Amino acid sequence: MKMPVTDPGVIARREQLATGLRAIVGAEWVISEESERAPYQCDGITAYMAMPLLVVLPASTDEIRRVLLFCKENGVKIVPRGSGTSLSGGALPVEDGILLGTARLCNILDVNPTERIARVQPGARNITVSEAASPHGLCYMPDPSSQIISTIGGNVAENAGGVHCLKYGVTSNHILGLEAVLMNGDVIHLGGNYLGAADGSLDLIGVLTGSEGLLAVITEITVRLVPKPETARVLSMSFPSVDTACHCVGAIIGSGIIPAGLEFMDRKVLDAVAPLIQETFDASTAALLICELDGCKSEVDALVQSVTAIAQKEGAIEVRASNSDAERERIWRSRKLAFAAIGKICRDYYCTDGTIPRNRLPDVLAKMAEFSKKYGLDYANCFHAGDGNLHPIIMYDSRKPGDLEKAEEFGADVLRTCVDVGGVLSGEHGIGVEKRDLMTHQFTTTDLEQQQTLRCAFDPTELLNPGKMFPTPCRCAEFGRMHVHNGQLRFPDVPRF
Amino acid sequence: MSETVQKAATAMRPTKVEDVASVVKDAVLSGHKLEIRGNGTRTGYGNPVQADTTLELGGLDQIEFYEPEELVIRLGPGVTMQSLQATIAERGQYLPFEPPFWTSLYGTDPARATIGGTMASALSGPRRLFTGAARDYILGIEGINGQGEHFVAGGRTVKNVTGYDVSKLMVGSFGTIAALTSLTLKLWPAPPREQTLLFEATDLAADLARTAEILRAPIAVSGATRLETPQGWQLAFRIEGMEEGVAEHVAELTRRMARPVAATLDDKDSAALWASIRELDPLNATPDDLIWRVNLPVSQAKSFIDAAGQGGGLSRYFTDWGGAEIFCATKPETATDAGVTRLRALAKASSGHATLVRAPDALRRSQGAFPPASAAVAALSARVRKAFDPMGLFNPGRMTVAGQGSKA
Repeated sequence: MKMPVTDPGVIARREQLATGLRAIVGAEWVISEESERAPYQCDGITAYMAMPLLVVLPASTDEIRRVLLFCKENGVKIVPRGSGTSLSGGALPVEDGILLGTARLCNILDVNPTERIARVQPGARNITVSEAASPHGLCYMPDPSSQIISTIGGNVAENAGGVHCLKYGVTSNHILGLEAVLMNGDVIHLGGNYLGAADGSLDLIGVLTGSEGLLAVITEITVRLVPKPETARVLSMSFPSVDTACHCVGAIIGSGIIPAGLEFMDRKVLDAVAPLIQETFDASTAALLICELDGCKSEVDALVQSVTAIAQKEGAIEVRASNSDAERERIWRSRKLAFAAIGKICRDYYCTDGTIPRNRLPDVLAKMAEFSKKYGLDYANCFHAGDGNLHPIIMYDSRKPGDLEKAEEFGADVLRTCVDVGGVLSGEHGIGVEKRDLMTHQFTTTDLEQQQTLRCAFDPTELLNPGKMFPTPCRCAEFGRMHVHNGQLRFPDVPRF
Repeated sequence: MSETVQKAATAMRPTKVEDVASVVKDAVLSGHKLEIRGNGTRTGYGNPVQADTTLELGGLDQIEFYEPEELVIRLGPGVTMQSLQATIAERGQYLPFEPPFWTSLYGTDPARATIGGTMASALSGPRRLFTGAARDYILGIEGINGQGEHFVAGGRTVKNVTGYDVSKLMVGSFGTIAALTSLTLKLWPAPPREQTLLFEATDLAADLARTAEILRAPIAVSGATRLETPQGWQLAFRIEGMEEGVAEHVAELTRRMARPVAATLDDKDSAALWASIRELDPLNATPDDLIWRVNLPVSQAKSFIDAAGQGGGLSRYFTDWGGAEIFCATKPETATDAGVTRLRALAKASSGHATLVRAPDALRRSQGAFPPASAAVAALSARVRKAFDPMGLFNPGRMTVAGQGSKA
């Protein structure tokens, strides 16, 4: 993985920089000891590692502001980090940059049942927001699988999804307000603590959500809370082929039903999960769909009937519906354990997250089988079928030379296929370093330049999370010059109509 | 050449994306400012623009694809709202954010209102409290930037973290970022059944507190308004969904309200009521009234209304989104710089902000339709616009008033 050139001068000044940063955040909150920095070397993708220059843990917006100004003055790069669960290398450190952790900014500042909002610090874990809202009958809907550990700040940075975003939307649909610090030291307040707070201004909240830590450091977040659904039931539906299961996904949504969640697991995943949940799956089952329906009781019962009828018409072998919360949990358990189960049957796996139009699922899954042959690596599929968000699990053995590279190539082939059928490189994990070099497959040079110029509007220093998202540096200084000159020079020979 | 430029200086209505790019390239060369709009039915919303050329995108009026089973449509910005809504209604789908037309406010033709204008103006109606806003239904865009270059952002899938969400940036940017040439929208199945329950209102604060209780209960309330009707002040709650669900939710709503139902409106009657709320009919505004939208915390709505009502400038108002949005009409004599400053200050004192939905051109030019941003946000917004439109050619002054907010 190619990263921006390391500045040995910065590394040589480590202790001096640590002293300066300690003056801002307090002596104990700058970690410079190598053994203590080591745990921060990677995020959720352990294949990529780098030792951060220093780990800095500020406790307030003002401390973050001063840290950023200090880094700007000293030409030091900054990698923001929540809990480090990124699956795209978004929080991968750089050796000549600090890792800016939000661990001390972990409070829920306010839960307001009248406005149905929660105001939280970026280091608050996702699950704690719903826990705090629960006494009011409310919840925070976006629920990435990492929710017990991942932070709201990280969720905003990566525009996290989750099982329920098919019906309830992704993180960006639930953010009402942000406070953030720019590299020039400006503290910006966008939106606020009520619905419509951001109306009448440019949607900079939309830009910051999913910006992967390249634009600003987010210091406070106001999220929208919604009533907890009254009831939910889950259907487990087995199919004789991957194609019939995929077709059923389209049939359910095409009928006008939007399930709360609609998940797909192939036979390999089922076989891996079976011993963990002490259940066996019918030998003729090639794929399983898990479909959650929520709402009020009569509504959910009617939906269960409709979906059951659709699944049977689509050739389901068996349809089971939960009749209690315990049964619902049991059905979900297979999905929740899927990744851990795969971890037990192979030494290493690599999982990526291209997203495609639902009706192209069979084509793309067929392609995966081809790629598996091409690279000689096994794979399994367990993904958010309802929104076409694929999570192919490519199995490899890091002890075998070249196996990781093959797995990466396999993953890249899948992602290129996703783009080719009208999809995108990432549905919920982000680009990070992992998919960075594939951005040119989805976007033209002009598209990428436009995005990079936008980045320059926020961070002309390019010190924030460098080496992520874009395959080339932004060259903010040059963009500025180009605009000044080329306004007049750019289209001298353009034909007019 | 000078002939062509002369023509361009009036109005351009391209029907092809290449021609939009060409108009922009001409503007880059000539330094001419462009007023970008759809069919111009809502130019009364936002600040008046001083430009050399009008670039109407209403000619880009084709649907590129519509895949109902995928809940997605890609179309030109010039497709009219009526044609879009008719097309998707045939397949039982709709735009959940319930975009208002507001053409009756501006005396324009609703049949000419476009989807491009709707998204560029971020128009969302009463259902927004339940389903999200216009911004939540944009998946991808294509456009021409201020250097005449065609660019793409987003895609056609609901989940997408691939590059910055420039699509959302376009929604509510009033044509100050790019000339949109294509929009990809997420659609949703339309609920087959709707019912509205009306209750007699009591005290404003008590009503909004009760409404807040209802809105945090697991009841599918997709509209929560308090308005003045011929029968007096009433609370209106809309429930939508499938037959079985609506019946159960209505029963639960009635139980929790613990006051008699004044009236129940079914399907068509319910839809008609919400269409009138969406179009601000309850304001009953005279042509010279100012029309305001105030967004604020629900808990502040009463103190704002009390303060705004003093001095007699307030003609009529109603609350939407359970009280987080107040529409009000103020009398023609409030159409002064002082009148605008006063209402904005009251909104700010209530932790909210006030937008002039309708006001004379001169007033919007001097005071701005939108409340001024903080210096830091105004400066950042200016840099963001410059990143797309370095020469400041697109809709100059449409969202901002020179000297307001920004110190940059």
